[in-house]
Amino acid sequence: MSLPAAPGQGSRHLAVAYAVAAALLASAPFVAGWFAEGRYWLDVLNNVGLYALLALSLNVILGDAGLFHMGHAAFYAVGAYTAAILNTQHQVPVLWTLPVCAAVAALFALAVARPVVHLRGDYLLIVTIGMGEIVRIALVNDVFGLTGGANGITGIDRPSILGRRIARPQELFWLIWGFVALTVFLFHRLARSRFGRALNYLREDEVAAEGSGVPTARYRLMAFALGAAWAGMAGALFAGKARTISPESFNVGESVKIFAMVILGGAGSIPGVIAGAALLVGIEEGFRGFANARMLVVGIAMVAMMAFRPQGLFPVHLPRFRPADLPPPPGAPPREEPGR
Amino acid sequence: MRLFLEQCTNGLAVGSIYALIALGYTMVYGVLKLINFAHGDLFTFGAYLGMTLLASMLASERVEVGLGLVLLVVMVMGLVAVLGVVLERVAYRPVRSAPRLNAVVSALGASIFLQNALMLAYGGSPQRYEEVLPQTALSVFGLQIPVVRIAVVVAAVAMMAVLYFFVQRTRVGAAIRATAIDPDAARLMGIDVNRIVMLVFVVGPALGGAAGLLVGLLYGSISFTMGWSYGMKAFTAAILGGIGNIPGAMLGGLLLGLVEALGAAYLSMAWRDAIAYGVLILILIVRPSGLLGERVADKV
Amino acid sequence: MKNLVGVLSLALGLAAGPARAADPIKIGMIAPLTGAWASEGQEMKRNGELLAAELNAKGGLLGKNVELVVEDDGGDPRTASLAAQRLTSRGVVAVIGTYGSAVTEATQTIFDEEGILQIANGSTAVRLTEKGLPYFFRTCPRDDEQGRVAAAVIQKSGAKRVALVHDSSAYSKGLADEINGILKSKGVTPVFFEALTPKEQDYSAILSKLRAVSPEIVFFTGYYPEAGLLLKQKRQMGWNVPFVGGDAINNPDLVKLAGKEAAQGFRFLSPPVPKDLDTPEARAYVAAYQKKYGEEPKSIYGVLAGDGFRVIARAIEATKSTDAKKLREYLVGGLKDFPGYTGRIAFNAKGDRVGELYRVYMVDAAGRFVLQP
Repeated sequence: MSLPAAPGQGSRHLAVAYAVAAALLASAPFVAGWFAEGRYWLDVLNNVGLYALLALSLNVILGDAGLFHMGHAAFYAVGAYTAAILNTQHQVPVLWTLPVCAAVAALFALAVARPVVHLRGDYLLIVTIGMGEIVRIALVNDVFGLTGGANGITGIDRPSILGRRIARPQELFWLIWGFVALTVFLFHRLARSRFGRALNYLREDEVAAEGSGVPTARYRLMAFALGAAWAGMAGALFAGKARTISPESFNVGESVKIFAMVILGGAGSIPGVIAGAALLVGIEEGFRGFANARMLVVGIAMVAMMAFRPQGLFPVHLPRFRPADLPPPPGAPPREEPGR
Repeated sequence: MRLFLEQCTNGLAVGSIYALIALGYTMVYGVLKLINFAHGDLFTFGAYLGMTLLASMLASERVEVGLGLVLLVVMVMGLVAVLGVVLERVAYRPVRSAPRLNAVVSALGASIFLQNALMLAYGGSPQRYEEVLPQTALSVFGLQIPVVRIAVVVAAVAMMAVLYFFVQRTRVGAAIRATAIDPDAARLMGIDVNRIVMLVFVVGPALGGAAGLLVGLLYGSISFTMGWSYGMKAFTAAILGGIGNIPGAMLGGLLLGLVEALGAAYLSMAWRDAIAYGVLILILIVRPSGLLGERVADKV
Repeated sequence: MKNLVGVLSLALGLAAGPARAADPIKIGMIAPLTGAWASEGQEMKRNGELLAAELNAKGGLLGKNVELVVEDDGGDPRTASLAAQRLTSRGVVAVIGTYGSAVTEATQTIFDEEGILQIANGSTAVRLTEKGLPYFFRTCPRDDEQGRVAAAVIQKSGAKRVALVHDSSAYSKGLADEINGILKSKGVTPVFFEALTPKEQDYSAILSKLRAVSPEIVFFTGYYPEAGLLLKQKRQMGWNVPFVGGDAINNPDLVKLAGKEAAQGFRFLSPPVPKDLDTPEARAYVAAYQKKYGEEPKSIYGVLAGDGFRVIARAIEATKSTDAKKLREYLVGGLKDFPGYTGRIAFNAKGDRVGELYRVYMVDAAGRFVLQP
């Protein structure tokens, strides 16, 4: 028996919101051309886009599956370095590395998560922090002679589509946000799929989920792998955009930032985490004058949020089922539908 | 052989600092079952406060060195303890009955806030301690051991001894231990759990702050990000000894310091931190209860 | 805050309309205003601002005002590449900076792609000018020269057991490799060649390991924060072997970090420090700096940034243009013996500064840097 599509999530409102946001974003490259500093702001939007990808990928692990994970920058790094090495050493065009980066990051995630995926909440958190740091240290120490050590890898090519080089912010904008749009679409489908729902179930009550036949350990690993794969691809895009990558881009601070984006935006909610990404990048830009202490605001926000609005800015709406949504038992007369 | 012994003494010095910080983690965890992510930043606060107080003490030239140092330790411990109590009130008490994730996030937020507040207060100026301890070496059994390291170990061990006595032999100490075992039963026995929580947030941060001061005196320079790195190592130490177990934290700290120092000398210096994190992950996989503790992680 | 300024300037710009001649010439500077090398970055900024003000007081460049646009690279490659991108989107015609070879390297591709001239002031790794980037120059010397001088200092000391310590960064490892190569070609093989990890605090492990091989001299090619800690901890251990350092250790904070007794007797290589600049113009400049900021410039890299600014200004004046190609042609072909504050400046086709700059300095008991003959 298959369940009807979940009627909740205010799906009509959400679709409208997405359409409006898409229209606004699509106009950005043109509007930016009118202003002297437009280029700069487009660059900021590109950063928001990359972080949105990262937040969405962490959302699968942290929001959907409820796994405390603060080493996400490690997956990002694996993807970025894979792209960089393939590009600089083997002349593979950046965009072609995307599937490879996804695969490598996913495999990496499986390998490191497997021994620890059974750990409870805050322990898993600490372990993921540790893993993230080990990855960073390995990068700094030029593991396998591939990573260029503390200086990282420079001279990465720009991405190119059909021979056309994507270098300027306007061009990168379409690439990055196009990818974001694709991701949003795919992840919404994921949320409605069986796997997606199983992840939510797992998050809410692990014992009941296991009892209902959800293979918890396996699904957790899959969540890690999926989140890692997406972060890996985001890493490849980052490598093509920044052209230089170094271990410092992938430290604990980055992981904490992405974690904050998901939590503040609304863990489990796709529009929420995108808003979270925009919020944090916005804070960084807006408080540029404070240099070091920008994150002060983020810290306060986190404490306050947990006290007053722990579900985040744009929380996820769980689907609500009503009796009218269930198909009538066979043989019974059709039920009168109350006004929807 | 000489290298080995030298590294052992280095390891013990660093390890005793880890132990002091680890005590803070373990005490809070024991009573609240919460990892105080902001603890590392309390340690950093202690270091910076110590720096400012020391500088002004030296500038006033009214206090002589020996007494001054003792005063300094007491002041730093007191101030950081106050901060610890405030932290508990603001960041932890509101979420005590909420799901685990909320407490974690709140703790993280507090940690980020503290670290950045320090950056704002102390800005980009170099952060260094005046040299008040003799910067020479003492010859012990043919080894040249820096006096500062001996001083740090002595101070740390003294504090740990006092704490041990307090926890094992006094009524209040027994109350803390009881609350750690079972808060509800403790409440039934007439123990004011809220008071105990506050006490734990006084003692733990005080020790952490003292550790910060010792680090400043030992190395002469401090940084804003010390909190994260020392905090992670100290947490590893607490897990190693058995989280919630006070003698375990002391043992874990010293042991971790030794393992790290010997690993750095014989395996590789560049991977020193990775070794510590590796130890952490290994313990959590293989023996989550640590050396002296009971089972804490549930398996799926 | 920036948003408000942006909106206001936009409004004013629209309102001002055809008053194009009032557009200033923007010269960019990328520097470590925050982070481990903040003291270098802050001095770079001060030097730049002082020179821009002086230039504007004399009528500016090509009839327009000069505006110095400064961005912070935080001393790390990633922040630097973001800062570089920001600078390019703000319409600068040339950039000065930065300090730290790895950081500069991260910005090179970005400025090169946009066709913006870049003059680095504190990046001595050889490979930066071996890539064929036409718009990259530097007013600081380069590590092959430094390697030669270092090897000479080591040989002069007569030591046979030499230890080399670096920190794995582009600059540090590069310099260590240079010295290693030269020493080996002269028949001296170092007994120790390893890296320490920067930004740590406890170097007792590497110091103990060093002591275990009994070197007669130790050459450290890293940066001043680590050098300070090394010296301090070495003294705490009661170990007296002489240490020598490269030019990245030239910073007054070294003595503060190490403590006066520990730093005494330490020698390092460097282009001359500001107080030893002996031309009349240099001395006048130092006095002007003192007058504006209340203290003398302490770091030579700041003054090298200043010379970078002056060289760009001269090139713009001489070519009457801000086109990077014309500026480059002038710098390579037309600029001969420019009287920089740090000495005579000329560039070769690779963008390197021509001339011998490195001297040996020693720290005396009062913590001063004393030029050695």
